[in-house]
Amino acid sequence: MGGATMDKEPILEVKELKTSFRTERGKVTAVDGVSFDVFKGEILGVVGESGCGKSATAQSILRLYDEKQAIHEGEICFEGKELLSLRPSEMDKVRGNDISMIFQDPLSSLNPVFTIGNQIAEAILIHKNVSKREAYARVLELLRLTGIPAPEKRIHEYPHELSGGMRQRVMIAMALACESKVMIADEPTTALDVTIQAQIMSMIVELNQKLDMGVILITHDLGVVAEVCTRVVVMYLGQIVEEADVKSLFTRPLHPYTQGLMKSIAQLDCDRSQPLHVIKGTVPSLHQIPEGCRFAPRCPFADDLCRSKMPPLEQYGTGQKARCWHAATISEEGEAIRA
Amino acid sequence: MTISSENIDLHAVKSALKKEQNKILFRQIMTNGSLVVGFVIIAFLMLVALFGPLLIAHDPNTMDVLNRFAAPSADHWFGTDNLGRDVLVRVIYGARISMGIGVAVAIIASMAGLIVGIYSSYYKWLDHLLMRISDGIMAFPGLLLALALMAALGGRASNVVIAVSIVATPYIARVVRSEALALKEQTFVEATRALGASDTRIIWRHIAPNTLSSLIVQATFIFAEAIIVEAALSFLGAGIPPPAPSWGNILSDGKTYIYKAWWMTFFPGMTITLAIIGLNLFGDGLRDLLDPHSSKATK
Amino acid sequence: MKTYLFKRLLAAIPVLFIVSTIVFFILQLTPGDPALVILGQEATVDEVEDLRQQLKLDRPIYEQYFNWLFNALKGDLGESYFMNESVIEAILSHLGPTISLGILAEIIAITLALPLGILAARRKGSVTDQSVMAFSLLGMSIPNFLLSLFLILVFSVSWRLLPVAGYAPLSDGLWEHIKFLILPAFALGTAHAALIARMTRSAMLEVLNANYIKTARAKGVKEKWVIYKHALRNAFLPILTVIGQSFLGLMGGTAIVETIFAIPGIGQLIVNGVMRRDYAIVQGAVLYVTFAFVFINLAVDMLYGIVNPQVRLDSKK
Repeated sequence: MGGATMDKEPILEVKELKTSFRTERGKVTAVDGVSFDVFKGEILGVVGESGCGKSATAQSILRLYDEKQAIHEGEICFEGKELLSLRPSEMDKVRGNDISMIFQDPLSSLNPVFTIGNQIAEAILIHKNVSKREAYARVLELLRLTGIPAPEKRIHEYPHELSGGMRQRVMIAMALACESKVMIADEPTTALDVTIQAQIMSMIVELNQKLDMGVILITHDLGVVAEVCTRVVVMYLGQIVEEADVKSLFTRPLHPYTQGLMKSIAQLDCDRSQPLHVIKGTVPSLHQIPEGCRFAPRCPFADDLCRSKMPPLEQYGTGQKARCWHAATISEEGEAIRA
Repeated sequence: MTISSENIDLHAVKSALKKEQNKILFRQIMTNGSLVVGFVIIAFLMLVALFGPLLIAHDPNTMDVLNRFAAPSADHWFGTDNLGRDVLVRVIYGARISMGIGVAVAIIASMAGLIVGIYSSYYKWLDHLLMRISDGIMAFPGLLLALALMAALGGRASNVVIAVSIVATPYIARVVRSEALALKEQTFVEATRALGASDTRIIWRHIAPNTLSSLIVQATFIFAEAIIVEAALSFLGAGIPPPAPSWGNILSDGKTYIYKAWWMTFFPGMTITLAIIGLNLFGDGLRDLLDPHSSKATK
Repeated sequence: MKTYLFKRLLAAIPVLFIVSTIVFFILQLTPGDPALVILGQEATVDEVEDLRQQLKLDRPIYEQYFNWLFNALKGDLGESYFMNESVIEAILSHLGPTISLGILAEIIAITLALPLGILAARRKGSVTDQSVMAFSLLGMSIPNFLLSLFLILVFSVSWRLLPVAGYAPLSDGLWEHIKFLILPAFALGTAHAALIARMTRSAMLEVLNANYIKTARAKGVKEKWVIYKHALRNAFLPILTVIGQSFLGLMGGTAIVETIFAIPGIGQLIVNGVMRRDYAIVQGAVLYVTFAFVFINLAVDMLYGIVNPQVRLDSKK
C-alpha cells in the first residue's frame, strides 16, 4: 500500500469548492461544497458513480474549465497559493508543473499530429529553462522510468502507433516531466485491458513511493481502491458523503451509500444463489436534486429528518467522516454487513 | 411486479404523445433563428413573385422614353432604366421569372437526383456508371457547362431550367446516394428483406423517405444556386432573352450604364442577394432542425 | 504514398474522358456553323463547303470525335477557328491572367478567413462570433458577378480608386499588374473567404472540444499556443480540404468575373469560344480545366498526407 511518508501538513487543501455550470436548463452545480486535503506522498482515492462530480472536482483544481461557462467558489490552497484567485498566466505555471493530471482515454488525450517525444518534451520546455537537447534527454529518462522499452525509437512515434497501455505510460511520463508534487489521475485505467490496468496501477504506486508524489486517484473501481489507496473520499451527487482511511472504509463503512457500494461488490466466494445486491433507485439528475440528504430517496434507513435537512459532514473517530444523521447507529448494523 | 390489466386507451395515449411531439417540434422551429428569418424572407419574396404583378397596373416593358435614367424617387422607387422602364416593376416581374426558375430547377433536380442517387446506392453496376457521369458533370465549372448547354439548346426559359437542372442533379444525387448507402447497412433494411420485401419496395418505402431530410436541405441550396446561375447566364446574354425582366437581364442592362444609373444595378442586385441570404438561412436552419448531428459542427 | 497517387491519377482518366466527351457532343448539338460565322453571311455555299471540308466539319460526328481524341493524346489540340493560333497557344497565353487572378483571390480569401474563423471559434457565442457569421453569410450570398458590379460602383465609379476593367501582364510591373486584379480578386475571393471562415470556425470548435486539448492545458501550455499549435494543426485538415475545393471553385468562377473586368483569362476564353462556336477552343480549354481540376485535387491530397501523419503511415502499410 502506498505512502512512505505522511506529513502532518497537507500539500493541497480544497475548501468548500463549488463549481457550477450555466446550461440551457439553468445553473447546474456539479461540485457542491467539497473539502478535502491531500498529504505528501499519499494516494487519495476519490470514488463515486459517473456524474457524482469526481472528474469535475479534479478539473476544477486545475481550472481546466472555460471560466465563461463554469463558476468556481471556495478555495484551493497549494503551497501558500490560492489557486482560484491566480491570474491565467500564473495558473499556467502551476499546471503540469506543480500539479499534473492524467486522463481516462490515452488515445484521445494525446495530440495525434505530434510525436510523443515532442509532446513530453513540451511539458518540460514550457516550465524549465533548458535546451532542447537536455529536454529530450529527460524525455528518454522519463520513458525509461515509466517502463517503455526502446525509448529512443518511441520518441519519434505518433500516439496511434502505440498500444493502449503504452500510451497511458506516455501520459504518465508527461505528468512526471516536471516532478510535480501532486498528480491527479482521472480514471487512468478505465479504458484499458484488465491486465494492462494492473501494470499501470502498480507503476503509479511505484512512482508514488519512489518520488514521494501525492496522487489523487479518481476511480469507480473499489477493488483498485482497496489495493492502492491510503485514504478514500466517497462522492455522491456533487458532495462528499464519506471520508476515511482505506482500512476503515472497507471494514466499517459509515454512510449507507458506501455500505451499499461495498455490498454490491461481487465476491468470489459469495453465495451464488442470491442475486447481486443493488442500491435501489437511480442517481437523480443534477437538475433535480432532492431536498435534504441527497441519498435519502434510495436509503434504507432514511426518515423524515433525512428527507428534510441536509446532514453535515461529521467526524466519527480518527479521520473518518460521514454525511449522515444516523451514521452512529447504522454502523453497528453496518458491522454485520462486512465480515 | 404485476402488470395492471386495466384497459389502457391507446388512442388517447397516441394523440397525447403526438400533441407532445408537435409542441416540441414547434418549439424547435420557433427557436431556430435561421429557419424563421430565412422563411420570412423567402415567403415575402414568393408572395411578391406571385401577387406582385397582379397589384401593379402596368407592364414591365412599358417604356417612358421621356423619363429615362430617372433616379429613385417617389414616383419610381427603384428609378427607371435606359428605356424609361420602371425598375421596381421590372424587379417584381423578374421575381416571378427568376424564382420560378429556381423552384423548377430545385424540384426537377430533386426528383432526378433522388432517382439517380437511390438506384446508384442499390445497384453496384449502375453506381459505377452513374457516378462516373456525375463526377464528369461536377468536374466542370457549373456555369460554363450551363453556358455550353444553353448555346446548344437555345435561349429560352425552359432551356435554362433544363440546363441548370442537369448541372444541379449530380449534387443531389451524391447526397441522396451517401444517405442511402448508410441506410442500406442498417439492420432494419436487413429485417425488411428477411420479411420478403422486394427491392423496389425496400427502396421506395423504406430507404427513400429517410433520405428526404438531407435532400430537402440540399434542394434549398440548389434553389439558391439556380437563381444565381440564371442571373449569370442572362447577364452574359445566354439566358432568358430580353426584354423579359429576369433579374440577370436587368443587371445586364444596368452594366452598360453603371456610371449613369447605379440604381439599375443596385436594386436588382440587393433583391438577388436578399433571396440568396433567405435561402441560405432557411437551408442552414432546416439542416439544424432535421439533422442535429451535422449541425453540431457548424454551430 | 506513390501507389496512392498513381491510383488517383488513374481514376482521373475516366473523368477526363467523360468530360471531354460530354462537351464535345454538347457542342455538336449546338446550332450554328462555325464556317458560316467565320466567313460571314455573304459567303457563297461553295466557300462555306470548302471551309467546312478544311476544318473537317463535314465528317460524321464520331469520326470528328476520334480525330480530336487521337490528336489530343498526341498533344495537338487543333487550331482555333477564329483566332490565328493553335488551341494550345491560345490556352497558354490566357493561362497567366487566370492563374494570377486565382492566386490573388485565394490569398485574399485565406488572409481574411483564417483569422476571422479562429476568432469566432475562440469567442463562440459572443457578438464577435455572431458578426463574423453574419458577414460570412453575406459574403456567401452575394453572387460574384454582383459583387463585381458593386465593387466597381464603389471603387471605380464613386471613389475612382481603381480601374474599372482591363489587364496588364506582370512584365509591366507588379503594381500595374495587381492594380487590375484587386477588384476581381476581391469579388471572387469574398465568397470563398466566407466558406473558409465558416469551416475554420467549425473545425476549430470541434478540435477545441477534444481531449488532447484538455491535456495540453493541463500541462500548462499557454492559451495562445493551445490555439495556434495544438488546435490549429489538427483543425487544419478539414480547413485544407475546403481551401482546396475553393481553389477549384475559383476556376469556374473566373469566367464571369473575367468577362466583367475584361481580363483575358481562360474563363473569358471559354465564354467567348462558346458564344462564337469555336469548338476547338472550347474542347481544348475544357480539357485543360478538367485536368487542372484533377491535378489540384491530387495536390490537396498530397498536402493532406503531409499534414496528417496517420494518412501517410497507413499508406505505407
